[in-house]
Amino acid sequence: MALDELTREFLIESQEGLDRMERCLTELEERPEDAGLIGDIFRSVHTIKGTTGFLGFKRLEKLAHAGENLLGMLREGKLTADGPITTGLLQLMDGLRSILKTIETDDNEGDAGDAELIGRLEELQAPARAQVKNARVRAGAVQARAVADSLGNSHGPAEENASEARVPAEAPVADAGHLVAVNAAEHAAEPAVPAKAEPDKAQAEAEPGKARAQSAGTAAESTLRVDVTLLNRMMNLVGELVLTRNQVLQATAHDPSLTLLTRRLDMVTADLRESVMRARMQPVSNIFSKMPRIVRDLSQSLGRKVRLQMEGQETELDKSLLEAIKDPLTHAVRNSLDHGIEPPDVRQAAGKDPEGTLRLRAVQEGSHVVIEVSDDGAGIAVEKVRQKAVERGLITADKAANLVERELLQLVFLPGFSTAAAVTNVSGRGVGMDVVKTNVEKIGGKVELESRPGKGTTMRMRIPLTLAIIPALIVHSVEQSFALPQGALSELVHVPPEQAVASIEWMEGAPLYRLRGKLLPLVFLDRLLMPEGVHKGSTEKDSFIAVLNADGRQFGLVVDGLADPEEIVVKPLSAVLKNIGLYSGATVLGNADLALILDPGAIALRAGVTMSSEEKTERGADAEDEAEAAKGMEYLLVEVAGRQAAVPLADVLRIEQLKVSRIEYIGYRPVLNFEGQLLPIEDSGAVLAAVEGNPDAQIIVVVCREGARQVGIAVSHVLDVAAGGELFEAGTSARAGGVTLLKNRVTGVVDLGGVPPLPVDEGAPVEWNQMTVEMAEAAR
Amino acid sequence: MSSVITATNRKEKAALLEMCSVRLGKTLFGVPITHILEIVGGARPQPVPLAPSYVGGLVHYRGDVLTTVSLRHLLDLPPRDGPQDILVLESSGGCFGLLVDSVGEVLTVSSADYEPNPSILDDRRRALFAGAYKLKDTLLVMLDPDRLDPIRLDSMRAVPAQAA
Repeated sequence: MALDELTREFLIESQEGLDRMERCLTELEERPEDAGLIGDIFRSVHTIKGTTGFLGFKRLEKLAHAGENLLGMLREGKLTADGPITTGLLQLMDGLRSILKTIETDDNEGDAGDAELIGRLEELQAPARAQVKNARVRAGAVQARAVADSLGNSHGPAEENASEARVPAEAPVADAGHLVAVNAAEHAAEPAVPAKAEPDKAQAEAEPGKARAQSAGTAAESTLRVDVTLLNRMMNLVGELVLTRNQVLQATAHDPSLTLLTRRLDMVTADLRESVMRARMQPVSNIFSKMPRIVRDLSQSLGRKVRLQMEGQETELDKSLLEAIKDPLTHAVRNSLDHGIEPPDVRQAAGKDPEGTLRLRAVQEGSHVVIEVSDDGAGIAVEKVRQKAVERGLITADKAANLVERELLQLVFLPGFSTAAAVTNVSGRGVGMDVVKTNVEKIGGKVELESRPGKGTTMRMRIPLTLAIIPALIVHSVEQSFALPQGALSELVHVPPEQAVASIEWMEGAPLYRLRGKLLPLVFLDRLLMPEGVHKGSTEKDSFIAVLNADGRQFGLVVDGLADPEEIVVKPLSAVLKNIGLYSGATVLGNADLALILDPGAIALRAGVTMSSEEKTERGADAEDEAEAAKGMEYLLVEVAGRQAAVPLADVLRIEQLKVSRIEYIGYRPVLNFEGQLLPIEDSGAVLAAVEGNPDAQIIVVVCREGARQVGIAVSHVLDVAAGGELFEAGTSARAGGVTLLKNRVTGVVDLGGVPPLPVDEGAPVEWNQMTVEMAEAAR
Repeated sequence: MSSVITATNRKEKAALLEMCSVRLGKTLFGVPITHILEIVGGARPQPVPLAPSYVGGLVHYRGDVLTTVSLRHLLDLPPRDGPQDILVLESSGGCFGLLVDSVGEVLTVSSADYEPNPSILDDRRRALFAGAYKLKDTLLVMLDPDRLDPIRLDSMRAVPAQAA
């Protein structure tokens, strides 16, 4: 079935035309009077018809012709695009599509008859009767003139008349009311204007056609069709380049002469990667645009009234990912219509707008695209879910009784689950949501479901922007490197050996860590990976806890060491290794080592970390705490001569590490010439005194804003950033000043206002060198 | 379970075949060179914790990550330290690497010298080997890439486990 170049181009062009037609048709439903839309649709069909005649696809030409007639009447305003007509046009589109498909696979248009469809399209032209009748008198005159013109002067400028000639020709027959006769009469009438009609129509087409050709011309110059396999190959090669770059960066890290070159290589590689990725990006509208049709057809067959809103259509996603979420999205939309949005009478009874709303929203959030399908329907009845899941034997009654709402909603994703009472042709066979979940998870995405009874359901799909390259943290365990996807990582905790005993607590064999006062279940990666091995106790070495969030489960993964974060290129594993279930792939690191990519969700599952109900309530409370804390103040935790102190983070401008020799003195007051401004240094902890006599010693100055001026605080170390809690004096509700609760320790807050201002010199402009300082001192 | 090796043998009388030889322990093994994509020398495969025991680890091969099968382990030989050679083999299930101590020369054998697996061979070895060629002074035990494919080894391992 080798298609020649011409046919192939025709197929691609026609598909694009039909896609455009589909978009216009759905818009046409909302704005049936929009002449521009009708014109667009007309042109799509007309182009197909024109080219098919040339290529000799008779069946396609006939069908397109029938559609064109109907569209012609719409365009001339003799018909209004009401429901049946739109349906007819959609059927026409489907008909054309299926013929194109046949041509693509078999290289001929097949011989299935389209008589029924053509008949329907002609039937739809009949309502023109009424309008035509009114215009009959005028039409009669026009006809006469048109015929005269066509007979007399075939080059005459009578375009208007001639194009109308077709209508009067139908008029008498329309009176008779015989639909079949319309066709016959039309054909009979055609010879009357044979020489005229076609060229005229072509000319009428020429004007808008020319305009379109121009815009198409500029588009054609700036765009190029590229084979997807070529793009895939480019993506693979870029992946290899990223690997090589990582290796070059590591190998040359100690050679300053190569720094500039490698930095350039780094930048160019990053840009190239982004460009290739961008080339694979397509707007979400490519799949969103299919939805109006689905919603329309389904709402009709289900007897729902649905308004579809779409947002963020311009959001872009990798082509292969876009393909992968097409089915899940369709499933989700079907589900919303069938199970979510109620029939109009039910909605009205519930005091809602009889017309339901289905919202599709796409938005990019960091390295993910979130696609939301939300409806304002009945929501998911969790009790019904519980009952059905038990009924279908997906879960035991005991277990079901213990599940909290959020876990119950997760049951919807189990294979074989359905709450629909009857199996309809839309849904109810129980193969909906699990397909959604597996398809989305296959591409590294996540599905979340949120539902409020009576208010509606929201399904959220989080899709990674790209599959091939992800940021990951490299961790060490069992003397090997592993990659942890950054997406799941929320924070890292360092546990020095001397603190290990105190901070890792055991509850009957279950290791736990107190993370900001909350118990975090721990999973030791070495014990998980080598259940039989001999493990060094955590008291003998440093350990790190990677706090991971996987499918709503939070746990800490204890590893032996951390390396730098890297952008890793994901390589698939063979089936045998995939079956282990802990690894989602492998990657080649900058040092040319291989590292397995850990799958946090699978680790949680393997280690038995679940969301127990107790934990969940605690989590909820914790989230509130955190939200509360966020409202409060954040502090920079510093160490000043062995004591901890806090500086309000909002006031911190920057943290400077500098040589102690840069500190100068105005009398006994230390000052810093900081970007041409004089900064008084607060040194209540005698940090400066501690390094006196050693001009090369480094000190840290935290530069803060205090009202309109800036002050510096000399500190020994900068420790952390933490949210402070308020402290109240026992028995009173008076807030204690000057202290805050940081990491469960009462910590003094540095009083910035207490830093005395520098002496003001009202004389000549000050030059900041030792001389002036002395002068200022003298003046004082 | 007709392998390429035996099938060729039955159809054409006394055809000459080229086999890559591998010595492991006391035995000389052969792999038809038509099934070898590449020989990678001096590799140090990255171990995969929790993987089936016959998996020798992962190696980076032409931009992909290749799963290797340890021939030593399959034959119950003690593991060997130091770099090993890898035969990159193509089987019906895809590519995989066969970890061997070192690859020897290519031998030309005549299909007339072929003998199927003897019946006294234990079940496991009978499942791995694809007969032998009688050389002048020794036997060249044939390895069939299809039989060494990790996916097949996995299913082989699963069956007795279920029976037990």
